Amino acid sequence: MKTRSAAEQEQLALLQGTLDVLILRTLLFGPQHGQGIARAIQDTSEDVLLVDHGALYPALQRLEAQKWITAKWGTSSNNRKARFYSLTKAGRAQLVQQSHRWKRLAAAMARVLGHESA
Amino acid sequence: MHLFRRGRTHEDFSQEIESHLHLETERLIADGMQPDAARAAARKAFGNVAITKERFYEASRWTVIEQFLQDLRYAWRWMRHSPSFVATSVATLAVGLGLVTIAFTIFNAYVLRPFAVRDPYSLHQIAWHSRDGGGQGFTWRDYDELSRRTDLFNASVGEHTRVVSSNGRPLMTAVVSLNYFEVLGPAMQQGRGFGAIDADGIGSPAVLTNQAWTRLFNRDAGTLGHEIELNGRLFTIVGILAPSFTGLGYSPRDVFVPVTAWASPQRTGPREIRETEILVRLQPGVTAPQAETALGAYMNRGREHQDRVTADVRAQPSPNRVSPALLVLLSPVFAAFLLVLIAACANVSNVMLARAIGRHREIAVRLSIGASRGRVVRQLLTEGLLIAALAAAGGLAVAGWGLRLATVALFSTLPPSVSPILRLVPMTFDARVFLFALAACAAATLLFALLPALQASRLSLTDALRGHGGAARPQSRMRSALVIGQVTVALVLVIIAVTIARNSASIGSLDLGFTTDGVMSINVRGEQDELARSLAEVMSTDPRVQSVAVTSGNPLFNQGRIVAAAPAGTAAATPARCTFVSPEFFPILGLPIAEGRGFRADEARSAARVAIISAATARAFWPGENPIGKTIRIERSNGRPLDEFPDYPEVTVIGTVRDIVSGMLITGREPNHLYLPIDPSDVHASAILFRGRTDRDLNAEALQEIFRRVAPDPQIFEALPLSEMRDLQMYPFFAASWVGSLLAAIALGLSVSGLYGALTYALSQRTKEIGIRMALGATARTVVGLVFRQSIRLAAFGVAIGISIAFIALKLLNAAIPLATISLVDITAFAAGLVLVLAATLLAAYQPARRATRIDPAQTLRADA
Repeated sequence: MKTRSAAEQEQLALLQGTLDVLILRTLLFGPQHGQGIARAIQDTSEDVLLVDHGALYPALQRLEAQKWITAKWGTSSNNRKARFYSLTKAGRAQLVQQSHRWKRLAAAMARVLGHESA
Repeated sequence: MHLFRRGRTHEDFSQEIESHLHLETERLIADGMQPDAARAAARKAFGNVAITKERFYEASRWTVIEQFLQDLRYAWRWMRHSPSFVATSVATLAVGLGLVTIAFTIFNAYVLRPFAVRDPYSLHQIAWHSRDGGGQGFTWRDYDELSRRTDLFNASVGEHTRVVSSNGRPLMTAVVSLNYFEVLGPAMQQGRGFGAIDADGIGSPAVLTNQAWTRLFNRDAGTLGHEIELNGRLFTIVGILAPSFTGLGYSPRDVFVPVTAWASPQRTGPREIRETEILVRLQPGVTAPQAETALGAYMNRGREHQDRVTADVRAQPSPNRVSPALLVLLSPVFAAFLLVLIAACANVSNVMLARAIGRHREIAVRLSIGASRGRVVRQLLTEGLLIAALAAAGGLAVAGWGLRLATVALFSTLPPSVSPILRLVPMTFDARVFLFALAACAAATLLFALLPALQASRLSLTDALRGHGGAARPQSRMRSALVIGQVTVALVLVIIAVTIARNSASIGSLDLGFTTDGVMSINVRGEQDELARSLAEVMSTDPRVQSVAVTSGNPLFNQGRIVAAAPAGTAAATPARCTFVSPEFFPILGLPIAEGRGFRADEARSAARVAIISAATARAFWPGENPIGKTIRIERSNGRPLDEFPDYPEVTVIGTVRDIVSGMLITGREPNHLYLPIDPSDVHASAILFRGRTDRDLNAEALQEIFRRVAPDPQIFEALPLSEMRDLQMYPFFAASWVGSLLAAIALGLSVSGLYGALTYALSQRTKEIGIRMALGATARTVVGLVFRQSIRLAAFGVAIGISIAFIALKLLNAAIPLATISLVDITAFAAGLVLVLAATLLAAYQPARRATRIDPAQTLRADA
């Protein structure tokens, strides 16, 4: 296993505001608890994105306050009590809007950077 | 909303984090890690748990409240540790808030609070103005005509009030139109108002106000159906009003009766008295000016001696309308009450400031362990708020007791003939008063707590931790300013109180020029001249009466008429008071004829064109000459705001009398006065003066009996001893001087305690210095001098500012009140204020000075080594 400092050098710190989209995107596949969301983000980004698990919770709290996600206590697959978050209708709409924005931004960034490196 | 809705508890969030760490640990174990390493890795991946929790905590908006509750707890603990400080602060503020609340409650009861009727803001009163008169009085015939004007009004009620005797007790009775309760819809406690079933005029229903129910029936539940005697007739009580409604005026009524049942001869007589007030609700779309224009023609009909009559329709939702004039009139009163509140706030602020300095170290510790400055200010403000809230509660209690006390004092000091008929609007604490108390409390908090809080939070950490008052210098300046402010307020109020007291004493001791002892005055209400004649005739044959005079207006009632008079043959006329009197007038008032002779009976009978004039008139018209036999010209008014008597173009002077105060005491003795002769049958005879053989024979009841022989409604006569009329005129001055003295005394007491606090604190700061001085040989005398000098220095500033403010304010007022009897810029008052305030300063310095002499140099020098 890699040491943390080595991993950090390879992983990318999250840009401001990206965490919200990642959480919403993760929840698209069904209700999930905090640890599950953190794991899913790390796994689906193939460990490129660095998520400080602690930083997840203020984001979850923020999304909950905006009524994009809801939460209730349930039992995890290995029989442990966990708080499960799920996407609301508003959250789904928000995700569509946000992912569109991110795609455009990513495409624009790619064009600019690709042009420069060429 | 968000402030009070808490999404999740802190424990719930902790549990979630706990569960996260467990899940992550289990996951890592499943990946093949050792349990201990897995736990550590999970924690590492999570980051700082405490910070996450903190962020959760900060983000949930509950924090503000939580912190506030914490501040409250803290403040409470702090207060429990210094009960005497809290008690004095609360008591000081409670007195200030209580006084302001009293002033506002009275203002609310008489000005702000609308009548407790349906839609009070649509009520309009109709009044009329003419060139030399006006009023709000109409006849019932006027009411009938106006209530038919449905093009203008969708409802109109009529009401005339009078004092009626009921088994010897005077009752304020309102004779009202039958629709009164239907239109107004006031809340009833029991029974009903008047309605269609009373229209036949067979029954005699009456409705009692709650106050009268309490007074007359002791709130007996079975009062309905009882009978009540009014003027010798029986009325059946059909309803009792709820306490909120006492009638459409500033003087509460006792009983209401419908005009259909009252049926006095004046109701239909051709010379009905114009004393019914008419209130209307305007039709939608009709404005008050439109109604005034539309009523113009009606107003000019059937009014003899009056021309160019115009209507005046004005909103009347409460007993007194809020008007700029009213506010200007009341502003000095409010200013005085407000000054006391400000003095109280300055006092508490000063003490708080001293305490804040004492708490430097504590505040510094809080700042150094991470409290934000805002948080510290909030903490100090919370403490202030707590004190202010306690003070507000105390203030309401003070106001309640104060009002009760003031009412008792009012009724026990009023002249005896007035107190039984005076009614006060109920002084209830309604939502407005509570809101006001709340606002005053918030303002007071800002006044006395914000300053110390800001000052205290501005100190430098290192200085404070070391125990130096880092900001001691500006703070001591601030404290001095507060003490100076208190002295200023106290001095201004003392000077004003002494000025009022001296003026009322000088007015009270004013020589009227005639005697009021044993003289009774009777006025006829309304315009019924022939009643004065019949009453005078009955009285002159009554063996209990020594002598009777008729007049066109009794002295001290301010009913005089002013004419333009001049010595015959000269051009310029001057205004002169003109009174028609019968020959007995002068002996009854003990007013000797100085030169010439009095009126003869035949001159009175024939209304001869002769006059007795005042000494001042004689001097002004014929200086140095004998006025007897000279002629005076009385001019027509010719558009001037004066009365005119066309039948008296010229009169011959037959005698002179000394000058008297015939109108208001504050205007003093009239310069010019003409007396013209009449007998009781004259049209100008509208008032009576008489003197009984003994003081006791003709009491109120005996008079009522005489009145009843002359008029069906004896309340048409208003009988009052002349001496009581004088007391009544004096009453506002005495009341003002009492209230002024009370406010001044409170302000003075506050400034003494403020000075005392400032000196005590200053002394505690200078203990070391004084110790050194004493070690170097300073005597007790010099130390005392030190303290007194500081006290005097503070007071001197306050005195200088106070004297200038009082001088300017009184000078302005003096210019606004052009009265010879009032002198507002009074050296004695200023001197008295100065002496009082200086004495208070020395009193405040006495205790600290004694304490200073007991400082032991050896001890103080060692203590702070």
